[in-house]
Amino acid sequence: MSIANLLQNWSRYRDTHPYGGAKPHMGYKWAMAIDMDICTGCNACTVACYAENNLAVVGKEKFLNGKSMHWLRIERYWHDSVEAGDPIELADGKEFKEGKQFHDQGAHFLPMMCQHCEAAPCETVCPVGATNHTQDGINSQIYNRCVGSRYCNANCPYKVRYFNWFNYQDPATENVWPEPLNQQLNPDVTVRSKGVMEKCTFCVQRLRAVMVDARTEERLVREGEVQTACQQACLAGAISFGNMLNPESRISKQWMQQEVNIALDAQPKNKHVGDAVDKRGYRILENLRPYPSVMYLEQVRESAV
Amino acid sequence: MIENNFNRRDFLKVLGWGGAAVALSACGNTSVEDGTEFVTAHSTEGMPEYAIPGVYVHFNSTCAQCDSGCSIVGRVREGRVLKLEGNPESPINKGKICGLGQAGLQAHYNPDRITQPMLRKGDQGETITWEQALTLINEQLGGVKGNEVAFLTGGVSGHSGVLLKNYMDALGSANHYAYEAVTPSVVRAANKKSYGVEMPRLHIDKAQVVVSFGADFLGAWVSPVNFTQQYAKFRKGPNGSRGVLIQVESKMTLTGANADRWLCIRPGTEGVYALGLINALGAAGFKVPSAAAAIAKDYTAERVIQETGIPAEHTEKVVALLKERTPSLVLFGSAAEGYAHGSQNAAAITLLNHVLGNVGKTMAAPASVPFPQIAPKVGNRHALHALNDKIAQGNIKVLFTYGSNPVFTSHSSLNFKENLKKVPFKVVLSHYRDETAMEADLVLPLDSVMEDWGSSVPEYMADAAQINIQQALSEKLYPDTRGFGDVLLALLKQRRPTEYGQYEDFYGYLRNAMVQNKAALGGGTASDDMFWQKTVSHGIIKLPAKAASALKTPTATKLAFAAAAADEAYPLHLIPSTSAHMRDGRHANIPWLQESPDPITTVVWDSWVEIHPATAAKLGVVEGDVVEIASRSGAIKVMVYVFKGIHPDAVSVPMGYGHEAMGRYAKNTGQNVFKVLDSVFDKETGELALHETRVKVTKTGQKVKIVKDEGPYGGGQAGKRIALRKTTDKVNLSKEV
Repeated sequence: MSIANLLQNWSRYRDTHPYGGAKPHMGYKWAMAIDMDICTGCNACTVACYAENNLAVVGKEKFLNGKSMHWLRIERYWHDSVEAGDPIELADGKEFKEGKQFHDQGAHFLPMMCQHCEAAPCETVCPVGATNHTQDGINSQIYNRCVGSRYCNANCPYKVRYFNWFNYQDPATENVWPEPLNQQLNPDVTVRSKGVMEKCTFCVQRLRAVMVDARTEERLVREGEVQTACQQACLAGAISFGNMLNPESRISKQWMQQEVNIALDAQPKNKHVGDAVDKRGYRILENLRPYPSVMYLEQVRESAV
Repeated sequence: MIENNFNRRDFLKVLGWGGAAVALSACGNTSVEDGTEFVTAHSTEGMPEYAIPGVYVHFNSTCAQCDSGCSIVGRVREGRVLKLEGNPESPINKGKICGLGQAGLQAHYNPDRITQPMLRKGDQGETITWEQALTLINEQLGGVKGNEVAFLTGGVSGHSGVLLKNYMDALGSANHYAYEAVTPSVVRAANKKSYGVEMPRLHIDKAQVVVSFGADFLGAWVSPVNFTQQYAKFRKGPNGSRGVLIQVESKMTLTGANADRWLCIRPGTEGVYALGLINALGAAGFKVPSAAAAIAKDYTAERVIQETGIPAEHTEKVVALLKERTPSLVLFGSAAEGYAHGSQNAAAITLLNHVLGNVGKTMAAPASVPFPQIAPKVGNRHALHALNDKIAQGNIKVLFTYGSNPVFTSHSSLNFKENLKKVPFKVVLSHYRDETAMEADLVLPLDSVMEDWGSSVPEYMADAAQINIQQALSEKLYPDTRGFGDVLLALLKQRRPTEYGQYEDFYGYLRNAMVQNKAALGGGTASDDMFWQKTVSHGIIKLPAKAASALKTPTATKLAFAAAAADEAYPLHLIPSTSAHMRDGRHANIPWLQESPDPITTVVWDSWVEIHPATAAKLGVVEGDVVEIASRSGAIKVMVYVFKGIHPDAVSVPMGYGHEAMGRYAKNTGQNVFKVLDSVFDKETGELALHETRVKVTKTGQKVKIVKDEGPYGGGQAGKRIALRKTTDKVNLSKEV
């Protein structure tokens, strides 16, 4: 996709993708929901992702330089702002002011991975079409087409794309999987080489395996037939995943009940500012119109304490 | 086969079923076909037929990364185990597995495993064969008395525990020491005293309010996978009711980070706060038994505020909540037990639980396995101190070490490393050349958990009693490693050839032990082969439920808490914190775990010290400054992480980092906080009081870039709506899917 083509046809590329548009999904629309009230931030999902998807452990120095390869990361936020602060008097009589004295309502843990946007900002900027939207609603990454421009990374509002700055699979240079660690590598997933972009795939290798089985049996994949690695590991069961087009799936019921419509960039339930909305579902940076496929459920804190 | 009673009893002892009534009625047998759809039994000779290129097979086993005893499913292809999942059949983990458990794979495929027996020759190690090693052990044992031999292990259970016990009996030694560096010993002792059992079954999911005094049950405490699943249910109560979690501690744990209200308490005053709550409950009209009321009556609101530092407004709300919503559950962990008066703190907290009427509602008597020989022998620190005394007196001539790394985890005032030199022959059974192996005369390389067979009984059982089976999920990577059970069997054959000579290997022994007792293990009339196939393919034997006895009712005794004396030279409390991934440092050589950010600080590949911003301002330090943490026993240099989840009078450093050996990922990563711990002990149990060390913090002038994942805003959201939060009065959870 050249820049000229991109500029001329911007609206066409933007319009084709959102849910139910000109290119409807063929039987499947994979989507996710994450309940942040029961996510404890334990990192079981992230380690599961490393194990399933052959993610490189880059080491201290590269991690410091922002080259970590965690497709799924737990973002940790604090809620107390400076305005809410109680000043602390120091021994020398000076006041110490930095928000509240303690993080006394705990942290906020947010598992962040590729949001598989329906109108993905990363897709439109790829000069070679290496990142695409599939018919089952996944934002795919074609490694052997990727030339490493990193435009997609620059354009991703969630910062969930990870670039291979090094040839991590080469034992002579990087040695990320020294013998016999390499024997653990999942044969269903490519080990990516230097110069390509990579990111969460919704465990596409697992999806494809069950979709092929289902097609052989002339049916659609059933609810519960497939789990992503993070979902399978999640101790609290905070992650749900499934086919949005199946009205019986938990995921479609959750989105429906939470009144989050994947095809809208602003949800009607949020229209009236100030009105108490008693539903927790929302999508991150929805207003940028990427139409993400991951719904988050707000964390809850007891009002009585 | 068994001729008379005497022989039978002896035989049962050999197999681990002795001492108990092996007369359980057989329970219903389900068809072995039940398991075949998902799980295919592993047979040692049958491996080739399962190694079909490109086809996955799934085998059940048991996770050994911690002592929780979660059942796992290994995804195996072409003879290699590639991924671990939880086994849905286990009542403990119900199909889930934590990050630490997943990383068992990298323990198996670790590039720094030792692969051959090594004998010390001066400063060098020399490779020898197993035959030479076993002969050498036999020679060394020849000249010493039974009681001059000691065996140091971590917690043990199951049939390797049986063999170990029988081996020690054969040697005539009573010196088996089970040592765990980080373990809730005081919790066990206090529970035993207050409830009559060491580890009651918890029903977090049935509680409406949980008040936890530093029990990190979502992180690293007792059985976190089970507790996290209970926690999820607790948060999603019936009809949209949602359980409330109050965490009282001086350093925020993962559980604290998930609390509705995190109450920062002055270190060591947990018992005072518990009695204060009892007193306040009584004042609020809650019916408090008179004995408990008498104990708590001196703990007035003013005194509690003054001693604990917790503001009255929070305490009032907590009291109102506890009064209104029942049942609740009160827990306590390392933060409350880690003091010289740890047992007193614990007694006050268990008393609060009794007052609230939770015993029998959210806390029940546990199941136990009716075979005492295979029951878990849990470790504690006291065991190491007792062994150390014997070693220091020169009473130990041969020392075996397995499953623990005391040279790394002992506190420096114990002088363990130096004392070890007094032991003429030290045998270390290990996976890595860790600090203890470096001191050994003979190092024996063990199979990984993925290669080995075994049985185990978890200390905390979530439902009825169960025996876990561990099977080999993968072919052996190295020809010259052996399983722990195999080593014990070989050693026993030296002592008691008539009884153990018939078993070719530990697998054969284990199979025989199980099959011989199949009636009591629910095998019914199935053939031996069928029973064994079923046992291995399920990876778990659930024993028929026995009516659990009720927990004890309380006996209130007068409690006293030593007030922390001001210490001008060492003004700050040091809190060594337990990371769910590093634990006591045994997993430090697993790269996934080193690169997995600490959930609270998001730091990777290093240790750090958490300092409250007010304290940091006083000390004139900012994030990334390297400071010296000095106690009376030692000093370490670590980088500062400024953090509003710690009491201003305390600093906290995670345990498990700072190895000097072990492997490429562990060595020189971070600092070892065990080195600076003072010798202060809990007065009742004699356990090392982990939180009693006082330190001073001084700036070194050195500065490093802190390697962390939290991003440039340090956990703020830069005004964006990213992570949102609602309060319970603004949300309707009742209709949620």
